[in-house]
Parts: sequence; structure tokens; C-alpha cells
Amino acid sequence: MATTTASIAVSSDVTDTTLSVSNESTLYTAGTETGLDAMTSVTKVLESLNDVDLIGTGSVSTTHAYVYINNPDADSTRYFRIRIGTASGADSTDETEEIGRLYGGDWMWFPWDVDDDITVKPGDANKMTVEYQVFS
Amino acid sequence: MATTATITLSSADIAGDPVNVSKTMTCTKAGTTTDLDQSTGLNRVHLRSVTNKVLLAANAEGNDLAAKVYIINKATDPTLYVTITINAQTIGKLYAGDWMFIPWSQTDVAADIEVAATSWTASTGDIPVEYALFHEDTDLLTNA
Repeated sequence: MATTTASIAVSSDVTDTTLSVSNESTLYTAGTETGLDAMTSVTKVLESLNDVDLIGTGSVSTTHAYVYINNPDADSTRYFRIRIGTASGADSTDETEEIGRLYGGDWMWFPWDVDDDITVKPGDANKMTVEYQVFS
Repeated sequence: MATTATITLSSADIAGDPVNVSKTMTCTKAGTTTDLDQSTGLNRVHLRSVTNKVLLAANAEGNDLAAKVYIINKATDPTLYVTITINAQTIGKLYAGDWMFIPWSQTDVAADIEVAATSWTASTGDIPVEYALFHEDTDLLTNA
């Protein structure tokens, strides 16, 4: 099995005493110390305001995965809504729970239980690029 | 003042060629280049409830504002995990040593970030979790 690590370093001087956090985790299958062995890496270009599937549950064969999503846009006003649930397309019906907005330059990393799709809704109808990786 | 977050993903053998991804972001207010200016600081809780508990309480005022959440499971037993949910929608499980860093929309007051020590039993001991919130101005965000 492969050895894959995910590290984070956070530094913040918002508070009087600077906050500095650094951690590294090795990615294992659920509840074990067996390394993951599958990875998907995708770049997509979206050109509508529709809420669409970004990562479908059918693309992963396990019930525990890790997801990295990146908005590489240089414009900090251009964002994606990252949601989890069933994509509603152009319909306004809200069948998803919004996790958060990923603005230009932002990334996110989270574990995914693969119960529901991860969807994306651009905040701009002009071309926007989203990148993601899934480890499972 | 600035808050930066750097992720590094690395593997020498999950693919035919090594995988190395590194990205640093500066956490800013929604749609701007202005730095976030508020934080809860780093918090630590010891969980022993298999049912959901509110880790961060949402406030609808935060809907159009920026917030970043960092959570890590500090347990060392690989079988111990906590389940993360937002508004009853399960996001995923953080096993021992796992961390997450996400934007948080707070689409409404029900969009709390909740955590359950799902694998906890009386014999496992508490599951330590650390978390921090970085956000912009609103009078919200009191921890439950």
C-alpha cells in the first residue's frame, strides 16, 4: 500500500500571541494503519451558474476518502459554492448542504464519507476552473 | 494582520510518478484581499458523546461572510474517529491524526458544525479534538 501524507501549517497573527499550528497525517483506510492506494486528480472548467456534481459517490469504491479542492483563480471575488448532497442543476431547489465558498486562491481539505455527492456551484457564469484530488 | 494556511500533499508511490502538491492561501474577507481579523484561537475539547455536539454554532449573519475552520482529531488509536456534520449532513470521519480545513458558509442558523465521538466507548477513553475558527466581523460564533 502507498504512503501518502497531508500536512498543514497555519500561522495567524490575528491574536496578540501568534497562533502557529503544524500537523502531518498519514492517510489510511478507515480505522487501520493501511495506506490508501487510489488517487484521482482532475481539473474542470465550468461555464454556468448551475449546481453540478463535482465528485460523485460512484467514483470512489470505499466509504472513507479525503478530498482536496482548489480554486486557482487569481481573482479573489470569484468563488465556488462547495456543497454536499444531490446537485440541483439550474433548479433553485436546495437539495444540498453548503459547506462553504471557495474564493480565488482558496483551497480546502476534508474527509468524505462518500454517502452523498460533492457538488459545485460557480458564482460567476464566465469560465471558472476548479481542481480536485480524491484519495481513497 | 494575516492568517495563512499551507497544505502539502505528498506520496512517492500512490501513482507511477511521485505526487507533490503544495498550496498556500492567505485567508481573506469574502471576495476581497483584506485579511480576516478575528479568531477563536486554538481550542481543545475531549469528546465522549456518540451523539452530535455543537462544536461551532452558526449565525445567519455569517452567510455572506468568510470563515475558515480547522479541526484535528488528536487521538493516537487509529480506530478512534469523530464524525463531522453540518446541519445534520455528514461530511466525513476524522480518524486519529486526521485534520480538515474548510470554508464555512453558515447558510442559516441550522448550519452548525457538529461533532460526535462515534467510536467512543467507556473503555476507549475520551477523544481529544482541537479546532480553530478564523472569520470576519459579525457578532456571532459563540461556542456551544
